[in-house]
Amino acid sequence: MRHRMARMCCAFVVVPMLCASCAKKTDPGVDAQVTSLGSVEVTAELLEIPGEVRNDPLYDYAHVMKYKVLTVHRGQVDKDVIYVGQYNPAKPRDAAADARVGQIGGNLKQFRVGDVHRLAMEVPIDDYYMGGIINKYFGQTEDPVYWALWTNRVVR
Amino acid sequence: MVVKRIVLLFAVAQVVLPASVAFAAGDAGVAELAAEVGSKGWIVYAARSSENGTWDLFLMRPDGSQRRNITNTPDHEEGGPRFSPDGRRLLYRRFAKGTVIHHDLWGFQGELMIAAGDGSAPVQVGADKEYPWASWSPDGTQIACLTMKGIQIVDLDTKEMVRQLPRKGIYQQLFWSPDGRWFCGVANARIMWTVVRMNAETGELNIVQEFQSCTPDWFPDSKHIIYPSRPAGQKGYGFTQLWMSDGEGGGAKMIYGEDGYHIYGGALSPDAKYVLFTRCAQDGGGSEGAGAPICVMRMADAPAIAGPSPDLRKVHPDAKEAPVLQLVDGWEPCWTYADVGAK
Repeated sequence: MRHRMARMCCAFVVVPMLCASCAKKTDPGVDAQVTSLGSVEVTAELLEIPGEVRNDPLYDYAHVMKYKVLTVHRGQVDKDVIYVGQYNPAKPRDAAADARVGQIGGNLKQFRVGDVHRLAMEVPIDDYYMGGIINKYFGQTEDPVYWALWTNRVVR
Repeated sequence: MVVKRIVLLFAVAQVVLPASVAFAAGDAGVAELAAEVGSKGWIVYAARSSENGTWDLFLMRPDGSQRRNITNTPDHEEGGPRFSPDGRRLLYRRFAKGTVIHHDLWGFQGELMIAAGDGSAPVQVGADKEYPWASWSPDGTQIACLTMKGIQIVDLDTKEMVRQLPRKGIYQQLFWSPDGRWFCGVANARIMWTVVRMNAETGELNIVQEFQSCTPDWFPDSKHIIYPSRPAGQKGYGFTQLWMSDGEGGGAKMIYGEDGYHIYGGALSPDAKYVLFTRCAQDGGGSEGAGAPICVMRMADAPAIAGPSPDLRKVHPDAKEAPVLQLVDGWEPCWTYADVGAK
């Protein structure tokens, strides 16, 4: 009898609670900036951060990272894999904006391979950013490098 | 009585002695260098004014004498002065009071100003942030500017853009060669912080020096480029040294290095016999603070190493102990033989 009660409790109370909990954690990374800034908006998985992410207070730079595009929300993206320049990636996105780059940001705190991001971008990077670029893909691809304006974390 | 004499001697020394300090290769050699360069034109540079606390522009003789503030603007900061090729005019940037002059961004900051070579009759050219990284054409009638859209050649009389070239990855510190045939600048080429040369007609680009190199400037012959570089292979962060190469990137050689100091602000005298630089304990050149000591050295004494610098001496066993004349603290000095400072 006691076992039956426990099973019923599990079925009708715990499982729905867990599901509700799971549902709460899902986050598509939508906010007013990511859906409006730039001409391209995608959800993409971070595949690779080549080289070391530098944290140098004296010098600013963009670091080119490789992403796999999962969904295109705005604009045109012809490739499944894209290359995106992230400005001073050692900093949380909401602390990365400065006099050089103006309005960039997002809620992402740290870049980790395998994470999924919602990105508002422009392309090519040289039309929107003047500064040092760490691009370990130089000479390996002719694909344009995107410039990340807003980067939010996505929880699937 | 003795104390009075000492005080008097000190006061006289303050008035008579130029604002210079010997620090390398013996006082006699440095005194000889000071005497040699003292009448060779004028140096313009930016420095913190002791009168008003802001960055102002100053003129001095190359031995540090006859120093005077030529802007003296308590409501503005000024920096980045460059004599026109004939020395008769100056261009520089003027910033709002309190602006932190960023060592990499200063060419994008503030307003372009053009004045007479002695700083008189200053005229604001354009609005805030317009004409970034402006650099004189050989005849002084045009400027080249480095913008996001490209390298723009602007006629100074009409303010019209007469030509534009793709910037091809150049992102700061653009300078037009004295013969007008080339630009040099800092670019993302194969890697960032690469000094490059661009053909001013065709836009063709070549690498001069890769890896942690910046702030290039031209030799008067338009065939050689001077630039600071922080070579790989040093212990820890390393120190920035002053280097030169030909325009195609060949013949790279160190001009001056000193472990413990970062050498920036490299510029030549108009006859290329002397070199100016700043030596700063912190990387970046000191524009965010109060600059760093401006130094003068003979190019014939290059390559030179100062201080113990044991690691650097191992890399450059042929380097000399050169007389180096250390002047006042400043930033981005520029030298002319025109008689702009005579009163």
